[in-house]
Amino acid sequence: MNTFIRWIGIAVVAFIAAPLLIVVPMSFSTAASLQFPPPGWGWQYYQAYFSDPSWLRPTWNSVFIAAMNTLLTMALVVPATFALVRHKFWGKSAANLMMMMPMAVPHIVMAIGYYSYFGELKLVHSKLGVILAHTCLSVPITFLVLSANLKGFDRTLERAARSLGATPRQVFLHITLPILRPGLLISALFAFIQSFDETVVAIFISGRNAETLPRKMFDSIREEADPVIAVISTLLFAIVFAGLIAPSVIKLIRRMTAKTAQQR
Amino acid sequence: MTINNKKKTSLIRPNRRLFLQGTAALAGASALAAPSIGRAQSKELYINSWGGPWLEAATENLFTPFTEATGIEIRTVSPVSFAKLAAQVRTGVYEFDVTTLGGGDIVAANNAGLLEPIEESYPGGLFQNGVGSHAFATMMAWRTDAGWDETPQSWADFWDVERFPGGRSLQRYPARVLPLALLADGVAPEDLYPLDIDRAFAKLDEIKEHVRVWWTGGAQSTQILRDGEVDMIGIWHGRYFEAEDAGAPVDFTWNQAELDNAYWVVAKETPNMEAAKMFVEFATSAEPLAGFVSQANYGALNPAADAFVPDAAKPRMPTAPGNVEQTFGQDMLNWGGDPQEVAMRFDEWLAS
Amino acid sequence: MGFKLSTLPDRQNIWPWLLLAPLAIYLALFFLVPLVEVGIMSVTEPPPGLANYERVLTGSLYRKVFLNTFGTALLVTVCCLLVGYPLAYLMSTVSKRAAMAILLLITMSFWTSFLVRTYAWMVLLGNNGPVIWLMQTLGIQDPPPLLFTRFSSTLAMVHILAPYMIMNIYTVMQKIDPSLIRSAESMGAYGRSLFRHVYLPLTAPGIANGSVLVFVICLGFYVTPVLLGSPREQMAAGLIGNQIEQFLAFGLGSAMAIVLLVVTLIILGLYHRRFGLDKLYG
Repeated sequence: MNTFIRWIGIAVVAFIAAPLLIVVPMSFSTAASLQFPPPGWGWQYYQAYFSDPSWLRPTWNSVFIAAMNTLLTMALVVPATFALVRHKFWGKSAANLMMMMPMAVPHIVMAIGYYSYFGELKLVHSKLGVILAHTCLSVPITFLVLSANLKGFDRTLERAARSLGATPRQVFLHITLPILRPGLLISALFAFIQSFDETVVAIFISGRNAETLPRKMFDSIREEADPVIAVISTLLFAIVFAGLIAPSVIKLIRRMTAKTAQQR
Repeated sequence: MTINNKKKTSLIRPNRRLFLQGTAALAGASALAAPSIGRAQSKELYINSWGGPWLEAATENLFTPFTEATGIEIRTVSPVSFAKLAAQVRTGVYEFDVTTLGGGDIVAANNAGLLEPIEESYPGGLFQNGVGSHAFATMMAWRTDAGWDETPQSWADFWDVERFPGGRSLQRYPARVLPLALLADGVAPEDLYPLDIDRAFAKLDEIKEHVRVWWTGGAQSTQILRDGEVDMIGIWHGRYFEAEDAGAPVDFTWNQAELDNAYWVVAKETPNMEAAKMFVEFATSAEPLAGFVSQANYGALNPAADAFVPDAAKPRMPTAPGNVEQTFGQDMLNWGGDPQEVAMRFDEWLAS
Repeated sequence: MGFKLSTLPDRQNIWPWLLLAPLAIYLALFFLVPLVEVGIMSVTEPPPGLANYERVLTGSLYRKVFLNTFGTALLVTVCCLLVGYPLAYLMSTVSKRAAMAILLLITMSFWTSFLVRTYAWMVLLGNNGPVIWLMQTLGIQDPPPLLFTRFSSTLAMVHILAPYMIMNIYTVMQKIDPSLIRSAESMGAYGRSLFRHVYLPLTAPGIANGSVLVFVICLGFYVTPVLLGSPREQMAAGLIGNQIEQFLAFGLGSAMAIVLLVVTLIILGLYHRRFGLDKLYG
């Protein structure tokens, strides 16, 4: 039984890894189509990506929209999370539910709503429209991550500072914020990625002026499975890989420098 | 169709809109929010692109010369979509100013009031507020490595999965596909119109489970033929030659190829109207058009262009002598039904 | 003095509202209003009335698409469970370092854009792709077409959603006290009966969480079925998108969207009453 489950587990690992790994060799292929094994190797599609404005513009749009979305989301969610985690008040559970709602609604439903509503407001095909829509969709995940962090916050530190004569403002700036910084950064990262990856709403409302990278990729896959997508996939994958590996690498470097420091 | 009720009746809307636009302006974000306002006088023209060989030929022979002559930059957006054209009028936000429509769409678009009235740029060139550009064909092509003993000849063979087993692909576009089904069912080309739509759907039932891909973009059709995802396909001729030139083991026939005309149209009330009309006139004038069709193997609809088309380009043109006799044309004014209704029925048929 | 005392509770009551207000107003304007607009369109376009719902709820096509959507969501959920449970089990039994490596892989998959993963499956299952190539190398003469079938879209959705399932199950498995298993073993529970009477009940919350999450996401899935699926096996979201994009049938599309929304909310509502919604995505 155990060995059986173990083998299934290993097969599942392969199943999960295969699609992530296949895009890397495909991005260096010289074939104009989805051919495996590739007939030759080269950088040509990397060059194509980095020289083609029709790919670079959506990339830039996506970065800009995701960044603006992150700022707006954090500005709205951080105070709200403090209210929900630290205060008791009438209507709290309803407010909690409200924060989660955008996650419960299928994106295609919101896409129709935005398409029509933003059409009336003349906000379709504009970056602002996409930012406003993405911010709604980023609220739940940002709230979840942040509130988990805030719930684990040890408030005795704040009380200690207060009893030593610090004003609430000082406590917030010098105690609460520094301790909460990792949580804030992670929730901001979630907001950023939520927007950067969002496809369905962007397909419907981004138009020619705000075309995002996922929308461009979707159109490109649907139209012709352009090999440049393998390049973008590899780059995105590399960023995720680096982002996940980075903390352990930093830890390792710190440990090594600490050791050499001790030896001195 | 809901295109015409652009102004929906609701009491709360004007206030809400004003309020929100005010908020947006207050937020200092009005520059982001107003793509069409700042652009009204801009020297940019947005053209709906078919991509692939069409785009290459159009860029070289139409867009670049036009920019050189007028200083107006051309940017392209894809894919070509009738619905987008309609959505622009509904939302008032324009994604493109100029597009090309096939015969199947132009009548519906004009009836729905989506097209800006336009002048005839050459004698006989005006049809339903569009100016005729070029003819292209939807023809039958197949993989030569499919392992069949015979060579398919007609749409009847396309339907014959016994003699020619393998995956099929057709365009997800009933205006082009229904006539093919009727030909396969034995209707003579001259008796096609008006279409017997029920009979066409009955014939399509026969092949439905063998159609693995209903392609929606030209590039997609090239890719699935080139990569062998299907063995037989109804494909635009330009896209077929793209696969052939890429070295794929493929072949085709002009027999029963379906001729379709593409027309340049200007989106109704677009902010770039003047530039758009200038472009249409330019793109359908003899020399640029000749260069365009010679490179992309289309058949020019402006007869004046013929003088500039080299003989070497003709064997791949569906309208060239020797090819055109085997093809058949469309008759959109006598089509046999409302294309939009049929499109909806087709979509429901697909999903059922 | 008395004045101060009486304002204190008031102040405390107004603070959370002040902190919440911007977000509440924002969500009302940019989340609720468009959502309500979908509802309004579903009964006003083109004719005022319930004709759109009548068509969606009684038309054979729409019934088929909704049934297919449910069937696919169920299939994907079951597959995710079959794939996720053994892996979570493996992670909870192997060494810490190996578990971390697997966790890293799953996290990586989770963070990789699902468009990238959808495209990767297109590469893998394509006619010139590695899977067909492997089949041919192994001597299978006529490999069946894999791409643009129900198989390809289901497989890709399982791959995309499996991390949700694995994470949820792994979280509860990690918390199981090994001494509990040992004591059950000492009392004579082995193999299947140990699994059924001890392990399965202990991991049930993770299974429930993961399954609801996968099922609900799958119900509204648009991108993957549209790109990889068979044209004859459309799912609800794809059909809704098509109604809007191809036919500008805002009313019909909205009615379908509302049906999809209501179904999703019912499932989540049942879950919320039982477990609480905020636990779901934790």
